[in-house]
Amino acid sequence: MLQTLLPILIFTALAVGAIGAARRIRLWRRGRRSPMRWQRLLRMPKRYLNDLHHVVARDKAMAHTHVATAGGFVAAMALAIVVHGFGWHGPILGGLLLAASIVMFVGALAVNRRRLNPPAKLSKGPWQRLSKSLLAYSVGMFLVSLPLVGVAPTTLGGGALVLVLTLLVAWGLLEMIVGMGWGGPMKHAFAGSLHLAFHRRPERFDDQHGEPQSTNPHDVHRGSRSTALFPLDLAAPKLGVEKPSDFQWEQLLGFDACVQCGRCQAVCPAFAAGQPLNPKKLIQDMVVGMAGGTDARYAGSGYPGIDVGKHHGSSASPIVPQLVEAETLWACTTCRACVEECPMMIEHVDAIVDMRRFITLEMGETPEKGAAAIDNLIATDNPGGLDNASRLDWAADLDLDRIKDRPEGVDVLLWLGDGAFDMRNQRTLRALVKILRAGGVDFAVLGEEERDSGDVARRLGDEATFQRLAERNIATLSRYRFRRIVTADPHSFHVIGREYPAFGGTFEILHHSTFMAELFEAGRLSVGVNPHSETVTYHDPCYLGRYNGEFAAPRQLLAALGLEVAEMARSGYRSRCCGGGGGAALSDVPGKARIPDMRMEDVRETGATTVAVACPQCTAMLEGVVEPRPQIRDLAELVAEALIEPGFDEVVATAPTPARAKVQPDEEIPA
Amino acid sequence: MAHEALFKPIQIGKLTIRNRVVSTAHAEVYATDGGMTTDRYVKYYEEKSKGGCGLCICGGSSPVSIDSPQQWWSSVNVSTDRIIPHFQNLADAVHKHGGKIMIQITHMGRRSRWDGHNWSTLMSPSGIREPVHRATCKTIEEEEIWRVISDFAQGARRVKEGGLDGCELSAVHQHLIDQFWSPRVNKRTDQWGGSFENRMRFGMEVLKAVRAEVGEDFCVGMRICGDEFHPDGLSQDDMKEIAAYYDATGMVDFFGVVGSGCDTHDTLANVIPNMSYPPEPFLHLAAGIKEVVSVPVIHAQNIKDPTQAERVLEGGYVDLVGMTRAHIADPHLIAKIKAGQTDQIRQCVGANYCIDRQYQGLDVLCIQNAATSREYLGLPHVIEKSTGPERKVVVVGGGPGGMEAARVAAERGHDVTLFEAEPQLGGQITLAARAPQRDQIAGITRWYEMELSRLGVDIQLETRADDSTIRDLQPDIVVLANGGHPFLEQVPEWGYSDNSDESLVVSSWDILSGKVEPAKNVLIYDTMCEFSGMSTADYCASQGATVEIVTDDTKPGVAIGGTTFPTYYRSLYQKAVVMTGDLALHKVYREGDKLVAVLENEYTGEHEERVIDQVIVENGVRPDEGLYYALKDRSRNHGQIDLEALYAIKPQPTLAESGDFALFRLGDCVAPRNTHAAIYDALRLCMHL
Repeated sequence: MLQTLLPILIFTALAVGAIGAARRIRLWRRGRRSPMRWQRLLRMPKRYLNDLHHVVARDKAMAHTHVATAGGFVAAMALAIVVHGFGWHGPILGGLLLAASIVMFVGALAVNRRRLNPPAKLSKGPWQRLSKSLLAYSVGMFLVSLPLVGVAPTTLGGGALVLVLTLLVAWGLLEMIVGMGWGGPMKHAFAGSLHLAFHRRPERFDDQHGEPQSTNPHDVHRGSRSTALFPLDLAAPKLGVEKPSDFQWEQLLGFDACVQCGRCQAVCPAFAAGQPLNPKKLIQDMVVGMAGGTDARYAGSGYPGIDVGKHHGSSASPIVPQLVEAETLWACTTCRACVEECPMMIEHVDAIVDMRRFITLEMGETPEKGAAAIDNLIATDNPGGLDNASRLDWAADLDLDRIKDRPEGVDVLLWLGDGAFDMRNQRTLRALVKILRAGGVDFAVLGEEERDSGDVARRLGDEATFQRLAERNIATLSRYRFRRIVTADPHSFHVIGREYPAFGGTFEILHHSTFMAELFEAGRLSVGVNPHSETVTYHDPCYLGRYNGEFAAPRQLLAALGLEVAEMARSGYRSRCCGGGGGAALSDVPGKARIPDMRMEDVRETGATTVAVACPQCTAMLEGVVEPRPQIRDLAELVAEALIEPGFDEVVATAPTPARAKVQPDEEIPA
Repeated sequence: MAHEALFKPIQIGKLTIRNRVVSTAHAEVYATDGGMTTDRYVKYYEEKSKGGCGLCICGGSSPVSIDSPQQWWSSVNVSTDRIIPHFQNLADAVHKHGGKIMIQITHMGRRSRWDGHNWSTLMSPSGIREPVHRATCKTIEEEEIWRVISDFAQGARRVKEGGLDGCELSAVHQHLIDQFWSPRVNKRTDQWGGSFENRMRFGMEVLKAVRAEVGEDFCVGMRICGDEFHPDGLSQDDMKEIAAYYDATGMVDFFGVVGSGCDTHDTLANVIPNMSYPPEPFLHLAAGIKEVVSVPVIHAQNIKDPTQAERVLEGGYVDLVGMTRAHIADPHLIAKIKAGQTDQIRQCVGANYCIDRQYQGLDVLCIQNAATSREYLGLPHVIEKSTGPERKVVVVGGGPGGMEAARVAAERGHDVTLFEAEPQLGGQITLAARAPQRDQIAGITRWYEMELSRLGVDIQLETRADDSTIRDLQPDIVVLANGGHPFLEQVPEWGYSDNSDESLVVSSWDILSGKVEPAKNVLIYDTMCEFSGMSTADYCASQGATVEIVTDDTKPGVAIGGTTFPTYYRSLYQKAVVMTGDLALHKVYREGDKLVAVLENEYTGEHEERVIDQVIVENGVRPDEGLYYALKDRSRNHGQIDLEALYAIKPQPTLAESGDFALFRLGDCVAPRNTHAAIYDALRLCMHL
């Protein structure tokens, strides 16, 4: 009887699943269309086995579990179709099917064990059921296949047993095949595979470039760091994403691939700070919006401070505020920690910026301080609203060459960034000038001709202001002759290096850490030994590390200075954001803790007395942490201080708070 | 951005100044070797430039002529080419750190002394005596006028050849140029006096000659007064007219404006306003000048903190702020503002120790910062952390000496415990700050409190350390700075007793601390003639007492410097305090509910009596030596400081020895000196710990 039932079950499941899948595809196709290139499907297997697996493998136990479960299932299902579906019975195929079922069973046991006491980041609900379903499928498939190798009678006992086995297999097929098409947890396999094939950032995959894999032990990222935001067509009838259907269809597909593993949630600085953002929930809300309904069935951690179940959406209705509150979008620091961790390679930050673009450009509802910064950028070309001609005030006594006075060209154009207006960062810039001079570098600055790179405007969604700044900076830069640009600002570094090319500006730009490391390697800097043994730690700026893959140069510099570096638990590609990126310091969404305070805790755990930084924004955020705390020094400051020939000598940070300073942990803060 | 106005660069003539902060011209009294800017001088200005100061104008009253005496105040001698290479050193040192440096050049006319050195005959437009220096002078002749004009030009040439960035012509403080300006002292009827143009002529000829010599591009400014504050002197309106007149020539690149003239004791006190003045008391005068001139205006006088300076600049009253004493107290002022460490700025409190030394011809020193002008000796403004062993340092006494010792030891990286018997730090500063108009001196303590807290010094208040408390801490170093007590037991006839019910006299400390209320009718007997007696008198009078202050010296307050005794006198005369000199307190006895003080004339021996309610005696401090002698024998150095090492700014040899703790003592617990002495000893001793 089983031999009759099994083909019916399998083919019914496949058929029903296919109907569901077709309906799912229709949901994705509600997004903005782009030309279909079907041949991309061919890339999928390799991308799955190579690129995706590489991300999954950061959690070894989970990777093994997934290999066993998924591999076992795929093999068992394929064999089941052949063996039980088409009836090609035979001991060899039967044996393989049994083996695949066992492998899957072993994997499913591990999944099940993880689900007994699931970590907070995991969603529950149907995902709790999935582990049981996996067991049901593998056990069911195993038992019904035993007769094939002659271990059990072909009739398999009486009707009751057949009924039980049929139900077991039916349960398994319902979850694994029907659920895959109809939006159950197994949807991830279907959507995820297609997402790999049609990913909007194909550069992220190894098959798109011949770049050798990074030899840097800190950079586990594979493929290129495709991190530039997509340019927005300012002539489009609608700017940014208002409704789920305004996303590119590949984005919708990507959202649907989410496995709710919560790795994004676990690394999100805003979530940890109790701000109303949870990248996992955001992606699930996008799925709710795409398919229509409410978020009531969401079974994971929500947005801190916002109840689950009160929001609803549909593909054709505005996302904000009925599906997602605006403050959720403004809490994001664009640190890309979520993107970096996502095993399904979902692009959370792109989605957030797309939605911010609509709020800013179409609604004009940028949060107050962000709007002020944008107004300033429009009026003065810098976010502080300062006279742009005062960009060089800090260097009045340094006699820096202006590039306009160097028509013959220079080796290095020093890009100052808006830190030039900030007294703290001016110390970094002065240190950098000292280093460039000590290294005999031929350099000049743009001075008042330099404008804000457009980073903040772009992350706040004001693509128009960004593009205006970018075009004007590109025009300015194009007028002058220089070999390379060097900047101490990772945001300028990222925007000029990675985002200007889309607007016709291709310049070689180096972060100052890379450039200083180069100077050291070339033997152009000599430094003395620090007489005090001091432990430092290094905080990777998001826009230098995760965005651009520069993890090595800063560490080389610290080593060259003879400093003992105690790495934070979260460093390198897993560095925790300072809280200052993406305009988050301007939107300033309240939470329970401050992100820089949490980061400073990470620093304190290392026992370091100094945290080396490489970004004006990180410096500002971390220095905002109340003292006593480790001191914050830019790499340039540390290098300049150690230079044997000091050149332009000045008193800089005079007396940092010593580690000895008393902390009164029991002191009560009055409410 | 914070302090945007403060850090806005500015053009003065062809010169770019990196910020708006100026160390204005003041006599440093460091130009040794016949007025040369030698090592000490160079390092003093180099430190300011290193600390970020935009412009230093050095050499207050640097004479261009040999008959304007240079030696009294060790001024810079611009009357000889010998100065040029020295200027080159000075310019290089300042430029190296991005600062600019100019010098003030002058002929002081009658405002000097004639009774020494070359025994110069002083000159003035009309030969009128100057009272502050008791300076008689001759009436300047036509030939001498032209000689001095040419001397100015030569002086300016030397400045330019020496590589300085400019010069400031002094037409302030009643020097020769403004002696010609002021109808108060210029009574001439020839072409150099009388009409406005005639009175302006000398200054104009100087300016023309200087310009002709140095050319258009070299920076030349003028320092002028805002109002002489004399009915027969130059008013603000006069000064506006004068400033506009010179400005119209286009030959002046900047004006420095000082409120108040200074040819009397009373007006002189205005020039360097002490702590009794409000912030920037004469800004309005400078702002008035700014209204009528087309070039930048600099103004100093009681601008001490960055926020105040920012406010002055933002208001557009003047273009640059002079923060001269502020830089004497902390030459790293600007660096600390830029580093966001404004809380760590050692702020000038207006004690005027600096300028009051200068008026006596002594080198300018800061009451609270012993490193200032001692950079050349190796005294640091930033204490380096020790690379040696971490030591347990116990400091006893939270007065200035003890606080400095604790600070420096903690900066060296040592584990420091500070004991103070009183409920707050400060020692005698706390008492001094209780007097009217003297509260700002507490700024010294405030800075130490913040620094000690930042440095994590363990401060044990209301704890009188004894042998066993100290022993319990197992110190490597013990520094005693436990001060003393009012010395009332010196003359038994005064009737002092430990029992306050029996004692016929009380101390100034009893009064200022509030322990004893001033009575209705008070006699203060002050042998010291310093701040303490005057402050006590002022305090009692302000509490409604009828006060007579008597001294055996020539006049109460006579030991107080030239910029501070006038403000005491203003206050005491206003409150009808009687100040009597030349009488010693012979004896005090009780008569009914009154006291009788028997006073003996120093010169006749005659006695006179006062019947009063209260006798307050200010007879200085007697060191408390008990703790020292309790510890001395056990200490490995027997409490001795190696003076050779101390004076040479070298580590004490005992630091390299082993044994029980090393014991040092500083400040009034050794012998009563002053705040600076205690701080200086603490710094030079502890910087090597």
